[in-house]
Formats: sequence, C-alpha cells, structure tokens
Amino acid sequence: MIDGLIMAFQPEVMLWMVVGIMMGMVVGTLPGLTATMGTALLVPFTFALDTASGIAMLGGLYVCAMFSDAIPAVLVNTPGTPAAMATAFDGYPMTQQGRSQEAIVAACFSSALGTVFGAGCYLLLAWPMIEVALKFGPPQFFWLGVFALTIVGSVAGKSLLKGLAGGAIGIMISCIGISHATELSRFTFGIPEFRGGFSLVAALIGVFAIPQILLMVSEMRKKDFIAEYTRAPGVALKTMKEVLSRPVHFIRSASIGSFIGILPGAGSPIAALVSYNEAKRWSKDGKTFGQGNVHGVTASEIANNAAAPASMIPMVTLGIPGSAPAAVIAGALMLRGLNPGPELFRSDGSLIYAFGWSLLIAGVVIFFLGIIFAPLLARIIRIPLRLLAPMIMLLAVIGAYAIRNNIFDVYFMLCLGVFVFLIRKVDFHPGPIGLGLILGPIIEPNLVQATYMSDASSVFNVFFTGAVNLTLIVLIVLSVGFVAWTRWKEGAEEGAQQNAQQGVETRTNELGVS
Amino acid sequence: MHRLMDRDFLSAALLFVIGAVALSQTSDDAPRDWVLPFLAIYALLAIGAALFLRFLLNSFVKNTPDLIRLLRADTPIYTDVAVFCVVVLCWVLLMYGLGFWLASFFMLSATSLYLTREKTTRNMAINVVVSLGACVVAYVVFLHVFYVPLPAASWWAGLR
Repeated sequence: MIDGLIMAFQPEVMLWMVVGIMMGMVVGTLPGLTATMGTALLVPFTFALDTASGIAMLGGLYVCAMFSDAIPAVLVNTPGTPAAMATAFDGYPMTQQGRSQEAIVAACFSSALGTVFGAGCYLLLAWPMIEVALKFGPPQFFWLGVFALTIVGSVAGKSLLKGLAGGAIGIMISCIGISHATELSRFTFGIPEFRGGFSLVAALIGVFAIPQILLMVSEMRKKDFIAEYTRAPGVALKTMKEVLSRPVHFIRSASIGSFIGILPGAGSPIAALVSYNEAKRWSKDGKTFGQGNVHGVTASEIANNAAAPASMIPMVTLGIPGSAPAAVIAGALMLRGLNPGPELFRSDGSLIYAFGWSLLIAGVVIFFLGIIFAPLLARIIRIPLRLLAPMIMLLAVIGAYAIRNNIFDVYFMLCLGVFVFLIRKVDFHPGPIGLGLILGPIIEPNLVQATYMSDASSVFNVFFTGAVNLTLIVLIVLSVGFVAWTRWKEGAEEGAQQNAQQGVETRTNELGVS
Repeated sequence: MHRLMDRDFLSAALLFVIGAVALSQTSDDAPRDWVLPFLAIYALLAIGAALFLRFLLNSFVKNTPDLIRLLRADTPIYTDVAVFCVVVLCWVLLMYGLGFWLASFFMLSATSLYLTREKTTRNMAINVVVSLGACVVAYVVFLHVFYVPLPAASWWAGLR
C-alpha cells in the first residue's frame, strides 16, 4: 500500500490525474456527456502514458464528473448525469432562493468527502465488502430496485397518488423497445425507431431540462434572472461547517454510496437516490427536503461520489466492473495486457493501490477546484433568462443527440419534455418519472432473470428466502410504512390547521355581526 | 361544466388515456416480458380510478374544487411558450437542411430576440453576439473535443 502511495504521488501521475479531473469537470457539467463517454474518449490518450498515470487520469475524470454533474443540477435543474438527479431536488430550490454558491460549495465539499470515503473503502475494505456483494443475485437486485422505488414517497410532491402514477409512467417509458426475455417489441406502435428503446440520458433531459426551460420562458415577464446573485463572503467556510456538523448523516450517506457502488449494475444514480431518501427519513427537518435543504444536496453528492471509487472494488478484486466507467478502465488495463482480478491484485498490487490513492487524492483536488470555481459558477444565475433558456435548449439537444448520435432521441426528449411541462399543471412532479426511468432498467432484467431461476425451484424460494432478501423486504415494508405514516401525519396536521383557521374565521364573523 | 377543469378529474382522464393506449399495445405472448409493464399499467388505471373517485366525492360533498384557472391576463405567457416551442420545432426540422450550427445560430438569435422585452439596439446586438459565441464554443467543444457528429447541412456545403 505504501508503494502505491509513493507511486500515486509521482509528479507525472499527479499531473495526468489533474488533466483527467479537468476533463471530468467539462464532461459532468455538460448534460448528455457521461463519465462513460469521457473515459472512453480518453482511453486512446492513455497509451502514450505509463499505466499508473493512464488509469489515474481515467479515475480522476470519473470521480470529477460525479461532482461536476451537480453544477447544472443546482443551477438550472438539469442533472449533468443521471447520478445528479437527487441533487437537483434541493439544489435548484437553493438557487431559486439565491443560495447557489452555498449549494455548489456543499456539493463540492460533500463530493470530496464521499470520494475520500469511497477510496478509503477501496484501499482498506475491498475484500470484506466484496464478500457481501457476492451474496447479491437477480432477486436481491430486484428487491434493491423496489426499495429504491419507495423513494417516490419522498419526491412525489403534493400528491402521493400522482407520485406513484409518475413512477409507473417512468417505468412504462423504460419498457419501450425490445424486451429482455424473448426480444419482443413492446410499446413500439409499429415505429421501427422505437425498437431500440430510448437513451436514459435523453429521457432524463426531457423530464428535467425541457420543462425547466419552458418554465423559464413562461416566467420571463415576471423576472429577468433565475434569482438575484449576492456575494456571500465566508459562505464556503459556513457551508463546510454545516456539512461537518452532521457526522452521522455523512457516514450513512457514504456507507450507502460505497455499498451500492460495489454492486455491479446498481451504480451512482441508485446510490444517490437511496441516500437522499434515507437522509430525509432520518432528518429532524425532513419536511424541508425538496425546498432547498442543504443536506438533501450533500446526501446525494456524498453517496454518488462514494459509489464511484467503490465501483472499482469488484473490478480489481474479481474482474467484474461495478459501473460503466469502471468497465472502460478495466478495458484500458486489458489493452495493456493486465487482466483485472485477483491475479492482478497479487502480481501488481502497488499499481492497484496507486490507483486507489489517486482516487483519494482526486477527491482532495476536486474540493479545491470546486471552492475556486464556485463563486464564478454561481454567477450563471445572473445570465438573463432570455439568453439562458435558448442556450440550455441548445445544450439539451446536443446532449440528447450525443449519446447515440440519433436524432430520434432528440424528438423523444422534446415530446417528453412538453408532456412533463403540461402535466406539472395538474400536480405531477418530474421526480417520480425520472425515478421510474432510472429504476425500470434495474428492476426488470433482474425480475425476469429471477423468474427464470424460480423455474428450477419456486418463486417463494427465489424471492422470499435468504438473509439479504428478507432484510431488503423488511426495509421495503418499513419504508412504505414510514411514508404512509408521515403522509397521514402531515394530512392530519394540515386538517387541524384548516379547522383552526375556519374556527377563527367563524368567530371573527360572529363578533363582526354582533 | 367548469368542474371538468378539476386537477383530479384531468389527472384521472390522463391516466386512463395512457393506460388504455398502453394496454392496446400489450399481448399475451411471453408473459415474463409483460410482468412489469402490466404492473405499471394496472397501477396507472387503479390510481386513475382513485383520483376519479376523489373527484366525485369532492363534487358530491361540495368541497372547494382544485381547479386549473386559465386567465385571460396570462395569454402573453402562453404565447411566449408557444412561440418558443414553434421556433425550437423549426430548428429541429431545419437542422438537417441548414446544418446544425447555422440552424442553431438562427434558433438562439430568434428566441433571444423574441424574448427580449426591451428591444434596444444594444440588447439585440448582445443577443446576436452571445448566440454566435455560444455556437462557436459548442462547435469547438462538441465537434473537435468530443467528436459528436452533429447533423451536417444537406442544402449547402456548409459546416457540419
């Protein structure tokens, strides 16, 4: 491990890691460009570098993209990558309240902490964590997806029923295209382009960015900017103190992120969503989540950044990438004749540890970069809406197109965006639709695989036995129960307030008559 | 009649329509492939029914309806959104003819000019310059750094 640390601190390795971080900043900030695309584009450049520098550059890009995707989520309610969806829930309301700098600093600091925690797990706990991860098969992933789906209760907005309906709409959209089991065309309406399904990123841009742009246009006559920008000296220090004031919140979010990160296929988006939900559930000021609570931003950012280094753990220990960018990094290693897995851990241990240290150092560099750029980025809200709305539209269209170079994704994104803009008028919230879009592709393939497994034994044996299954089922029941209880409590409180108000009005009228 | 603008009623109608359209696309082949879509459709229909019942109940007990109000004073706002959508639609349709970058410049200029309240020469010049700058930066970043092959012009031999 010490050899790895020395290797990671070599000037060449550090330099290329910073180059990767700068690229990650651009990739994460621009909606539509994902960390996977960024790492894949950088792979050819790594051939000219030594292995440690090459993978440090790719790792730096990945973890930085997990931070910088929060910037458009916070400033214009458009997640840079799916992992920042939960960041937008509280980040954008903070911007609307003129607290954009605070939100960016919180995202940056918590991303750095999350990255350091995830990298720490990579360096110290890789093998014990992988033992637990190996207990996850299709039924467990299915239950994990269902558990994540209970987040609808947190992001449904005013109406839980409409939140659930939004989630179902998202899942239905995610089912469009060729099916998993028998390659059947579903919901294609006879249109050949539908058979390929839709890009998740394009759909998320449609759900979040397009309605936001149309909302900006509709508010143009009332205000010229998203919010007023006021310089806030000392806000960085204050925000960092606020983040550090809740160590339990940090450890919970980072543990969730690291654990979900090592599960292949789950990844940063689900980690961020589960962490956000748990933060809201356990917070004393849970009611303010969704209205600009800084801990909503930190919960999401700590988890999605902790998940990034953690997703490298199954790659280096078992040879199974935990995420798409981890797969690209594994590919970069294989192109050099190094096969990721237990053998590489034994034969080139210092390289593997150097990679872990590079990820940890990347977390620290991200922090300084974020602190430097936060005041500049926060000024974006001062760009007049008449210029900002068309520019975001340009980026949204390029982003939707860039994923698969398919203009059909752009048409779909625009139609979905207008649809979501219209249904917001009847109190549907975009959050659950995005949730369904993200979780559908996780839940369905695992459900189908688990049903195939049940052919050999029984549905009960596959879905309802085993410690992990039962733990997840208990968590789901508790989560649903908690949502029902809080909604009932809120409803009762509102009813009591209304009755009290009516009583006061009646009494005032009586006094007025007498 | 104005009760039909109730949010619960409109939501229920929307969910019934989506559920019915989705149901028309399902089949009995390969049941494993339809487990999740059927669950989602039935959930939509059940929620639609619940919202409709709530609407009926509220109408029956004469609770204050939760109506969408379309005010005449808001007409300029709807016009802004409609014009913006039309310009974006034209942009998306024209980008294969004019090429992505020229079409984008026109879209950015047209929308920002339309949305400018004080149409002074200075503001208009700023709009055009910012539109041009945004196109140039996006052109360099997306085409030459990230190699995104954005639609090329088919009507003239212009930029990609």
